[in-house]
Amino acid sequence: MAAREPSRYLARAVPRVLPPSSRPHAFLGRRNASDKAPERRLSSELNELESESSLATRVDEKMAKSFDPAARAKARKTQLPRGRYQFRSPKYYRGPLHPNQPPPPSDPSSRLYVPGPFSLPRAKQTYDSTIASDILTLCYVHNPPGFKPPPKAPRLREWDDSSPYHKNRPLRGPRGGDVLRLLRKPIAFNNIPEIKRITIHSYVKDAAGGNSSWLHVAGMAVQAISNVRVETFRSKASVSGWGLVPGRDAVAVKAELQGETMYHFLSKLVDVVLPRIKDWPGVKGSSGDSSGNITFGLDPEYVALFPEIEVNYDMYPPKMIPGCHITLHTSATADKDARLLLSATGIPFYGKIVH
Amino acid sequence: MSTGSNGARRIASLLRPRFDAAVCRSCQETIGRRNYASAAAEPTTTSSDPSSTSPVVQPAYTINAGVVLSRPPVITRDLEPFEKAFYLYQKRLNERQALPFTKYFYFKRGTPLDEDWKKKIQERQTPARDIGKYNAYAPDAWNDELLLGAKEAEPEYQVEMLVRDAESTANATSQDTSKKEEIPRPHPRVTEADKKGDQKSLNRLLSRTLYLLVQSKGGQWRFPQSQIATGETLRQAAERTLFESAGKNMNTWMVGYHPFGHFVRNIKPRANSKTGAENLGEKTFFLKSRIMAGQADLSANLHNLADFKWLSKEEISKFVHPQYYSQIKNMLADR
Repeated sequence: MAAREPSRYLARAVPRVLPPSSRPHAFLGRRNASDKAPERRLSSELNELESESSLATRVDEKMAKSFDPAARAKARKTQLPRGRYQFRSPKYYRGPLHPNQPPPPSDPSSRLYVPGPFSLPRAKQTYDSTIASDILTLCYVHNPPGFKPPPKAPRLREWDDSSPYHKNRPLRGPRGGDVLRLLRKPIAFNNIPEIKRITIHSYVKDAAGGNSSWLHVAGMAVQAISNVRVETFRSKASVSGWGLVPGRDAVAVKAELQGETMYHFLSKLVDVVLPRIKDWPGVKGSSGDSSGNITFGLDPEYVALFPEIEVNYDMYPPKMIPGCHITLHTSATADKDARLLLSATGIPFYGKIVH
Repeated sequence: MSTGSNGARRIASLLRPRFDAAVCRSCQETIGRRNYASAAAEPTTTSSDPSSTSPVVQPAYTINAGVVLSRPPVITRDLEPFEKAFYLYQKRLNERQALPFTKYFYFKRGTPLDEDWKKKIQERQTPARDIGKYNAYAPDAWNDELLLGAKEAEPEYQVEMLVRDAESTANATSQDTSKKEEIPRPHPRVTEADKKGDQKSLNRLLSRTLYLLVQSKGGQWRFPQSQIATGETLRQAAERTLFESAGKNMNTWMVGYHPFGHFVRNIKPRANSKTGAENLGEKTFFLKSRIMAGQADLSANLHNLADFKWLSKEEISKFVHPQYYSQIKNMLADR
């Protein structure tokens, strides 16, 4: 207690001796939180962290040369039993009360762990550095002070109560179709459209007749260009001319790309494949599902232009390389915004642009 | 409410000037339009300021249009040491966890490609071409970390390895053994302009955004700007400014019609001798623009400009006035 007393008095006395100046000594035009971010005083927890990266620390050269973990392990006379240093995740989950619990999937020792990412994709970097800020500037809508948006009619219409049977009926859908479109939020810093995932889908008509080789080739080709395991789908329709029976034959393959793989695929598509297609007009301007997802198709000869297929083209049976549909799913809720994003990414559109 | 007072209010609202000086004209029009639609429900009843009806001219700022002309990054950024180490670690981990490479699908037995493959797999012990010598299936596969001074994590090393691999494949499979195949290397990330320190070149700092800065005859550096003429929109003024100051030898794209930053300079109010209006200083509104091709040329400029430079964000802070930089820095990209 005695030790604490003088410090309390000091803390009270110091501000009296040195009154804080109302104006800062140095010139500060406009202060922002981001100005002083690195210089701001670290909290006590952060002070315990090392200020330098361990990759930048200097090591004695002699020590560095003598360090050889593989040789040291070999020189060891007796080896440790494996169980002492290698954790093996249980093969089956035996419930929450079992003593041997599997680690989370993000742990490299987990059986569900998937390595990655392996790189920082160029398309992602371009989006972050250039495209996102340009879209934000382009889509800015200025609302002057005092502006109130005009009231909108409710999306679901009420019944007019002209009949006693209207009582307690659920509300009616909008005029001209029962579809409730997605609401378009104004584009702000936290709402800039970006590509979320890409789906490559290929329907192989010839796989219906019981000859599965078509589907195998299609699966290998789609896997090669996408770097993702494909899923197969059975037919739901019945077409007697093609010998198609619902639920019998697998006729389609699909690959879903996300994250790093997706950006690498997009780069290949935009920079390698699409420019080499002769007389390709672009993606049709009316394409899109009116909620921000744009689809276009590639013919078999254009799928063969992908570098992964081109390097060992001979390994694929000729005429069995499939065409495919590519869907670009964006976080935009309107096709107009999705098209703006994709044309900035390098995908051209032609014809009548439908918004 | 008596009819008399209602009539007086209507007359007062007619006498009140349509525009308020605090709100810009286009915004006023927007508000005005809105009011026609919703006027029936709620008539505007703001009391008019007696001073605004007087003929005395209001003190005002000079309004300028500025252009922030930029060249976006051309190449990817340099990776941090941690990122390099992390990506190599993940690649080697992937080698350990992935299924073995299906050699028989890709190489037919007895072909030159197959022979070439056998030689390579013996050399580097892994199908991956850019992770160095590492056997993921050996008992000492745990030894996957790099020792001090190892080059395997460097992107330059990895690119070189990929190119060499392609070259050796091309040499092994080509019919003509007398000629050596050369696969072109990627262009260097550091250009001639970087080495010379040429700040007028657009070929410098390829991984950064560059901004066009101009120097007035008085020695002051800033973005191109000029006063807005009467009846001109901000975008038109910005296009004119760019044309008048940096010449016509540029292919540029104006991003949108709205300013994305502004600079305010207050001065001691002084009266204009002609109009009698007090000038409070200047306000500059910046429009974003991208350069696609060409180069700035100040030879025919109309704004008394002496010099120009293409600078990154950090370099701009060394050239411009601190007060100017503190107001513009948040509209410049980090990379």
